[in-house]
Amino acid sequence: MTAFIDGLLGSLDTLLLIVFSLCALAGATLMIFLRQPMRVAIALISTMVFLGGIYGLLGVHFIAAFQVLIYVGAVMVFMVYVIMLLEVRELGGTRYSRLLVPGLIGFVMLLGVVLISIWRALPAPAGASGAGGNTAFGISEFSIAFLNEYWLQFELTSVLLLAAVVAAMAVIKVSRRTDKTRPHG
Amino acid sequence: MLTLIVLLPLLGFLLNGVLATRLGGNLVGKRFVTVVGCGLPLAAFALTVQALFELQGQGYAPLVETAYRWALIGGSEFEIAFYFDRLSAVMTLVVTGVGSVIHIYSVGYMAHDKSYGRFFAYLNLFLFFMLLLVLGRSLLVLFVGWEGVGLASYLLIGFWFDDLANARAGKKAFITNRIGDAGFLLGMFLLFYAVGTLDMDRINAAFAFTGASAPAVSASLVGILLFIGATGKSAQIPLHVWLPDAMAGPTPVSALIHAATMVTAGVYLVARMSGVYLQAPEASAVIAVVGVATAFFAATIAIVQTDIKKVLAYSTVSQLGFMFLALGVGAYGVAIFHVVTHAFFKACLFLGAGSVIHALGGEQDVRKMGGLARRIPITFVTFAVATAAIAGIPPLAGFFSKDEILWYALASTSGGSPLLLLVAAATALMTAFYMFRLLWLTFMGPSRMDHEVEHHVHESPWSMTGVLLLLAMLSAVGGFIAVPHFLEPQLPLPQISEALHHLHKPLLVLSILLALAGLAGAAVLYGGAPDRVEALRERFATAHRWLSNKYYIDELYERFIGQPLVWVSDRVFLRLSDRLVLDGTLDGLGALGRSSGDALGRVQAGKLNLYLWFVMIGIVGALLWSWRHV
Amino acid sequence: MDKTQLLLAVAAGLFALGLLGVIVRRNVLVMLMCMELMLNGVNLSLVTFAQQTGTTAGAVLVFLTFVVATAEIALAIPIVLLLVRDKRTLDLDAYSDLKG
Repeated sequence: MTAFIDGLLGSLDTLLLIVFSLCALAGATLMIFLRQPMRVAIALISTMVFLGGIYGLLGVHFIAAFQVLIYVGAVMVFMVYVIMLLEVRELGGTRYSRLLVPGLIGFVMLLGVVLISIWRALPAPAGASGAGGNTAFGISEFSIAFLNEYWLQFELTSVLLLAAVVAAMAVIKVSRRTDKTRPHG
Repeated sequence: MLTLIVLLPLLGFLLNGVLATRLGGNLVGKRFVTVVGCGLPLAAFALTVQALFELQGQGYAPLVETAYRWALIGGSEFEIAFYFDRLSAVMTLVVTGVGSVIHIYSVGYMAHDKSYGRFFAYLNLFLFFMLLLVLGRSLLVLFVGWEGVGLASYLLIGFWFDDLANARAGKKAFITNRIGDAGFLLGMFLLFYAVGTLDMDRINAAFAFTGASAPAVSASLVGILLFIGATGKSAQIPLHVWLPDAMAGPTPVSALIHAATMVTAGVYLVARMSGVYLQAPEASAVIAVVGVATAFFAATIAIVQTDIKKVLAYSTVSQLGFMFLALGVGAYGVAIFHVVTHAFFKACLFLGAGSVIHALGGEQDVRKMGGLARRIPITFVTFAVATAAIAGIPPLAGFFSKDEILWYALASTSGGSPLLLLVAAATALMTAFYMFRLLWLTFMGPSRMDHEVEHHVHESPWSMTGVLLLLAMLSAVGGFIAVPHFLEPQLPLPQISEALHHLHKPLLVLSILLALAGLAGAAVLYGGAPDRVEALRERFATAHRWLSNKYYIDELYERFIGQPLVWVSDRVFLRLSDRLVLDGTLDGLGALGRSSGDALGRVQAGKLNLYLWFVMIGIVGALLWSWRHV
Repeated sequence: MDKTQLLLAVAAGLFALGLLGVIVRRNVLVMLMCMELMLNGVNLSLVTFAQQTGTTAGAVLVFLTFVVATAEIALAIPIVLLLVRDKRTLDLDAYSDLKG
């Protein structure tokens, strides 16, 4: 019975993986086609969520949590806020730039080259693919390692975020100064 | 010693050229110029006489003196060497002798000229180059002298260069000479290629062999090429056009350069290369025909000329034709004989004309002369003697040389023919006629001068008349110097055809009769009333127009050579090659750079899409590259 | 086709789609979002490889990419706001001041 459930779960794993992958790709494709930026944002959010699902299936649960927390919760919220702020009304016909056809051609070439590279570099192994080191991605191991071995990187991330904040404030200040000197038009 | 003969005039040129002109600041006065300018050529003449005695002393074996080695190229040596044998002796004596007296004449003639020093400097320069020409051993030294006399001629023709026409005449002389020099150079190249040396005595010796050991080049070809050079220098058809224009220079220049010495350089060249011409019957035939044709042609033009110097110029061309006729039938010594006698009487004639011009204060048109015989007697007498000499009246000099030429033109086995004699005889008749015409128009009859001019007519100073007397004496007795006999060991006289042997005496009588007929004709036409001449001119108006305009040869050259060349220069070389091709290429390259810069600049359109598309392509490229190499 | 290959293929697809989106779309904000998509694709491939090696270094690296993405977006959007205020349009064709 456990073997069956294991087997079923194994196959369920792969099935879900495939489904999540396809959905992520579908979201990404929609981003290219949708006209209004708000809808594009929604598509991106869906892609990110599905990616989080993939991370979960891979066993890196806390990474999945961070994906949704940071990417969707902070980054995409900010984007949506800006889209609403700018009240963009997309006019028809100006969706695509002049490089549509060259872009598509390049896209096909790029995809082809990368996929072929992947196929060449990593042929399908004989045995079943292992689930890999799940143990390393437990949250306790991660936290301990982060604050022990990689404490420098930790500090650097805080510095980076501080720098980002300072830069953002500088940008606002500059914009306020130039705003005052310009006549309202 | 030979080198000293050549260098003395050069020293004169340097001294006078630097010190007596504006170049050196006019440091010295006229006396210095006179002493240096006339003394050095006289010294050269004295040295030449001494060299002659030395030559005689060693049994006429040639004196050879090497000045220095100019170049050593491969295995061939090129030296500046001087060669003195019978022929060189005759030529050098004429050049230094007649040259010196003309220098003395110039003292009087150019006394009031503002560029007195420059004149003597140029005259000495000319003498230097002429001596290089006649004393040089190799064709190379001769060619240096050849070009140098051309340069001196240009400088002296355009001596009064403030008048643009004089400068143009000088240019014409130089350029026409250069055209002939092309042929000369080709001949030199062929000779060097075939014989391996440019020394003229060695070349003559090489051509003495026939058959297998003869030089591997056609003697006739070389002969014709060298003759082309001679045509330019000695004013034969078709390069004769410069000599009449050269009369723009001062009269001593015309006497020295364009009568006595420079124009005979071509004759000297052919005579010197007799070894080649003896083996070249075709070339000799060409020379004879061109010579006699030129003689006839120039004589016809001289009949109607009204400028005293132009008549003498065409007369010179005609007499040179006679010399080439002699060369063409193999009578080289006779041609040199005529050079010598011609130097005497032609120089006398030119200097006499100069005296007339001096007396009349610059008038050169014979229609405005007349009745001068009693006013300037010395000039008249000397001019008359020289005229008789050129006409061929015995026992004056011209009779002997001209008669020899006529005889060999008929009877020489290497090219003589009755046709040549016929044309030459007709020319001799015309020569006598136009020379006596000139004498009558200038000196005899009623005076046609302007009153102002008539008032000031005076005889020339002794520096001029003394020279005239000397040259007249030489014209009188010069014929008795048996030059052909003197030159015979070196330049053998041609064989006489047996059948015509008995015609020698009759021909002698014929030539005397021709001279007298010319005299009589001129006396009849010009001694009487002027309307007789007028009537004749109206009867033959067209012919007169053609002759007065020199058969329109200058216009012909201008139309068929000058203008096409200008067209080619303008259209092909200036517009096509220079502007279109060269400038176009350079501008095109610049434009190419600019346009490619513009094109490449469009890559930076400021569009983020474009940049990222390049990124995409770059990634594809990098991955493709990694397939091959990683 | 095993799991690794599939995941890498998905990552490649996401990256390629993101790059295509940046090239073909005209709206600046949409371009920004496509850049986020590219980052996500790269992140996925990073996670795949990290899980294969099994060391903690991989997890740390993934976390760091999150931080960088956040910092980047925190600055990119204010810059876009300033640009929009200057040009008064979100059309990328208007932002060609640096051409030539």
